[in-house]
Amino acid sequence: MSMAKKLQRLKKHIVREEPPAPKIEAPKAIRFWEAWEAAGAELFEFDGEYCITRETHYDIETAHGLYTFQDAQKTIGQWSSFEGYHPLSAKGFATSDLFFFDIETTGLSGSGSVIFLLGTARIHNSRVTVRQYFLPSPGNEAALYAKFLQETDYTTLVTYNGKSFDWPQVKSRHTFVRDKVPALPAFGHFDLYHASRRLFKHTMESVKLVNVEKEHLGLERINDVPGHLAPIIYFDFVERGDPEGVLEVMKHNERDILSLITLYTHISRLVLDQKGPADSQTALEVGKWFEASGNRAAAKKSFEQSARSTETEVALDAAYRLAMQHKREKSFEEAAALFQRVRQAEGKRAVEAAVELAKMYEHKWKDIPKSLQETSWALEQNLKNEGVKSALEHRLQRLQKKLSK
Amino acid sequence: MWKKTLSELIAELRKDENVIHWHELEPAEANVRPLPETIDGRLRQALKARRVHDLYTHQYSAYEAVQKGENITAVTPTASGKTLCYNLPVLQKIAEDETSRALYLFPTKALAQDQKSELNELIAEMDIDIKSFTYDGDTSPTIRQKVRQAGHIVITNPDMLHSAILPNHTKWVSLFENLKYIVIDELHTYRGVFGSHVANVIRRLKRICSFYGSHPQFICTSATIANPKELAEQLTGSPMRLIDNNGAPRGRKHFVFYNPPVVNEPLNIRKSATAEVNRLAREFLRNQIQTIIFARSRVRVEIILSHIQELVKKEVGPKKIRGYRGGYLPNERRAIEKGLRDGDILGVVSTNALELGVDIGQLQVCVMTGYPGSVASTWQQAGRAGRRHGESVIVMVAGSAPIDQYVVQNPDYFFERNPESARINPENLIILVDHLKCAAYELPFQETESFGPMEVADILDYLREERVLHYNSGKYHWSHESFPASNISLRSAAQENVVIVDQSETANVKIIGEMDRLSAMTLLHDEAIYLHEGIQYQVEKLDWEHKKAYVRQVDVEYYTDANLAVQLKVLEVDRTKEQEQSAVHYGDVTVNILPTIFKKIKMTTFENIGSGPITLPEEEIHTSAVWLEWKREEPEKSLEHILMGVANVLHHVVPIHTMCDKSDIHVTSQIKAAHTGIPTIFLYDHYPGGIGLAEDVYKRFEEVKKAAQDLIRRCPCENGCPSCVGMGFDGMNIKQKSIELLDQC
Repeated sequence: MSMAKKLQRLKKHIVREEPPAPKIEAPKAIRFWEAWEAAGAELFEFDGEYCITRETHYDIETAHGLYTFQDAQKTIGQWSSFEGYHPLSAKGFATSDLFFFDIETTGLSGSGSVIFLLGTARIHNSRVTVRQYFLPSPGNEAALYAKFLQETDYTTLVTYNGKSFDWPQVKSRHTFVRDKVPALPAFGHFDLYHASRRLFKHTMESVKLVNVEKEHLGLERINDVPGHLAPIIYFDFVERGDPEGVLEVMKHNERDILSLITLYTHISRLVLDQKGPADSQTALEVGKWFEASGNRAAAKKSFEQSARSTETEVALDAAYRLAMQHKREKSFEEAAALFQRVRQAEGKRAVEAAVELAKMYEHKWKDIPKSLQETSWALEQNLKNEGVKSALEHRLQRLQKKLSK
Repeated sequence: MWKKTLSELIAELRKDENVIHWHELEPAEANVRPLPETIDGRLRQALKARRVHDLYTHQYSAYEAVQKGENITAVTPTASGKTLCYNLPVLQKIAEDETSRALYLFPTKALAQDQKSELNELIAEMDIDIKSFTYDGDTSPTIRQKVRQAGHIVITNPDMLHSAILPNHTKWVSLFENLKYIVIDELHTYRGVFGSHVANVIRRLKRICSFYGSHPQFICTSATIANPKELAEQLTGSPMRLIDNNGAPRGRKHFVFYNPPVVNEPLNIRKSATAEVNRLAREFLRNQIQTIIFARSRVRVEIILSHIQELVKKEVGPKKIRGYRGGYLPNERRAIEKGLRDGDILGVVSTNALELGVDIGQLQVCVMTGYPGSVASTWQQAGRAGRRHGESVIVMVAGSAPIDQYVVQNPDYFFERNPESARINPENLIILVDHLKCAAYELPFQETESFGPMEVADILDYLREERVLHYNSGKYHWSHESFPASNISLRSAAQENVVIVDQSETANVKIIGEMDRLSAMTLLHDEAIYLHEGIQYQVEKLDWEHKKAYVRQVDVEYYTDANLAVQLKVLEVDRTKEQEQSAVHYGDVTVNILPTIFKKIKMTTFENIGSGPITLPEEEIHTSAVWLEWKREEPEKSLEHILMGVANVLHHVVPIHTMCDKSDIHVTSQIKAAHTGIPTIFLYDHYPGGIGLAEDVYKRFEEVKKAAQDLIRRCPCENGCPSCVGMGFDGMNIKQKSIELLDQC
């Protein structure tokens, strides 16, 4: 039996890829070139392959959500006077060094998933330049990456989850064309997804970029192509060659990238603002972020600000963290006063504060009765953590022994 | 109590009238060569520390052949030091060049874990920082990256290679660029559908390696099968050197066939094998002789275990007799293995889980409950008994199944016959297409590229038409959003599995397993009793559309058995052997399968205690078949009965000759076949597209026929019994007629 006949016969046993992708044929020339040209696209040829690029410019005074690109430029400039370490600090970089970056792919993981669109935005020469690199069909990746690598400084990318998605994908695809295009050096970058999670996840169910835009950046997407449709649109393009749908995806990609500028501006302001963010929760999160990055001075400032508000759990958490910073700096009086405040308010952190107080009374001031008082109080609370409980009981016994001497 | 020695027990056993055959295997001296000069000083030191001062001849030959750049397949019996056949050249290579990498493939996770421990003990004695890791579903995400980048030796299984490593090869660049050796242990387990899949996975692996510029050598080890070299060459697509000059010593072995006494003469019913096994095992155990008992199913293991523990509890205590089977936790298994090696555990009752190369040391006695199903498997189990010095005994207790009776009554068949050949068919179209998709996903296909020995241009073009691939300037690119490897399982018969959901506890609904679609029709229909790790479940609902079976734990006295209505249509005849009164054909068929009813059968008495309908849609598969037809227009009435009897015998005989599982090949008889209207028996591969079993039967039909006739002839029953052609009627002479019927083919 012929192979073709056999294949037909066994057709229903062969795993079908659902839903079927559009029928694909190799283009003889670039189809629908007029439509591409009308959209401002250009052709880049390389080593017998080609890719399509598009450049769009925006005036610096254009607003995208809460801020204009001029605001963005100003805020990014303010990092130069920032002291100490912060993961988002652009100190030492010119505004034009930053490349805001996002990709569109045909699937989520694995070596067979292809990046068909790479987009960057850069604030430069008093305008914002968006550059997009489009793969017209599989088999043109050398051209795509040659052009992209030639024009992009990948040591300073700003992305949304680029650390675990976009960049690993670029690295994976680059492996296939590594003999033809320049090597990929180590990259450095600012990942705004992690920043957004830190600052917004306590108030948002999902910190997807679209949601962050809506909640925090004053942006609403209208007529936007949902990202999950991108693969289908792409395969349809590869079959028919009509760029209509792809241009929509490119618009979507451009919005994503421009939002990254606004988001970077917004988060930078929250972090950099001398007066700090208005609400005590955000101030606490900014402080925790500094704390985790090892910038204690800045963390203290944010905690102080957050602790300033009345006795909410947020303010008490900030007060507790601030007290810990004081303790570390051996400012015991300040620390004790704050621990007292947290302990008196009897909130979630009261037991921990009591433990800290007990420690300080016992070892610092040798005030055994007071230490005993805090310890006993803590033990009267409903303790769920067995470790904490047994440590407290241990302390109680020791204190009682000391007292009876 | 005064204890008997093994020699005394052997002497007693010799007098037992139920022993129907006694075979002695002569002891052999060790055959060794000094460690080769070329071995790195640090490795030499490590070997000395582990008291390896010289090599057995097979280890020596393996090392030398690998040094010469050859691919090797080492065939070694149990406990002959096979791991050194690969660890030695691999460690030597890494000692010479630290950038070298090796990939080890084991059929199961447990074996991979074992191997890692053994390998790391050896590495610890060397003064080189060699990192070996297992990479499987249990590997924590935090160390995965380290394994990918820094692992010198990556130990994994074919499933992981297929679904995780190859599709993500860009994360494994340092492995693929520097891959020097691919080790395939337990080669003989890669047969049938599973082996056919794995051969394709290896084609993909070789493709990726060559993309990264590496050309690794293969080192395979296998238990004794008839065609290790052929299987290895088919599986790896590379020429192989066979290493079979075993130099390990062995003591004297007694191989005993034991047939339980007949308790009902006319019906030829024998005493149950289980009861006899219990009695025999007890004799050895109470005399403090380390014994392994094999049983064919998990349930059987538990039953025998509880009996034996009870029988010897006064003499040895229950803790010293343990069970071993799939479903036990890894820690528990490790503890049992160690207990056996150290001698703390005296007896173990196991499924064929202990057939594979898990290290449990060497025991003195092996008792098998029934014939394990193949010659190769029997030798594997027998290999568990046998010390390098001193005597050992293997007792095979026959069950009442036709094949058990055939084997014990025809000892020549077993002792003089080569073990079975392991067959794979990597060219099965469905399997091949599956893996071509994965391969295209991993790397675009060149128009001119072949896949193994196959021209695949037609298939690539078909996939382009199916819009899964995109053709562009001489290359086929994957062009679909899906991830093909996730739809393809290497181990199931059909691709789409039914998931088994246990809803015994409302708060803790969990998935306990999965089953291929075709088996699910008969084992997971509504109201079926499904056994999982010795626990009975009843199927409450089989959701065929969503491929889910909802089960609940029950405790009942019966099991269920489903009837299938099978229809066969011949599509094409490829080959034919014509005889005067009959013909044997090989070709393609369509099989329509419709489950009809199920019966409830009482466990103790096998009485039919009820039945119910099964309502499931018909399944259709296209597969290869061999069929025997008799040219009789007006067959006599009794012929239908005889045909069924012969079909039954063939179904028992064929799996031994093709080394497949009984469920891989199906047999059905038709008194008036749909395409010719004459009496016909069909044997077909129970896998869409066929996996080469029917073809094998066609080629070796004379051998199969003779085995079937011998089985019928030597069965001691008078007029047919369940152990052969089934019960005949008075004056029918079914045995003679069955033999004659086969004679005509």
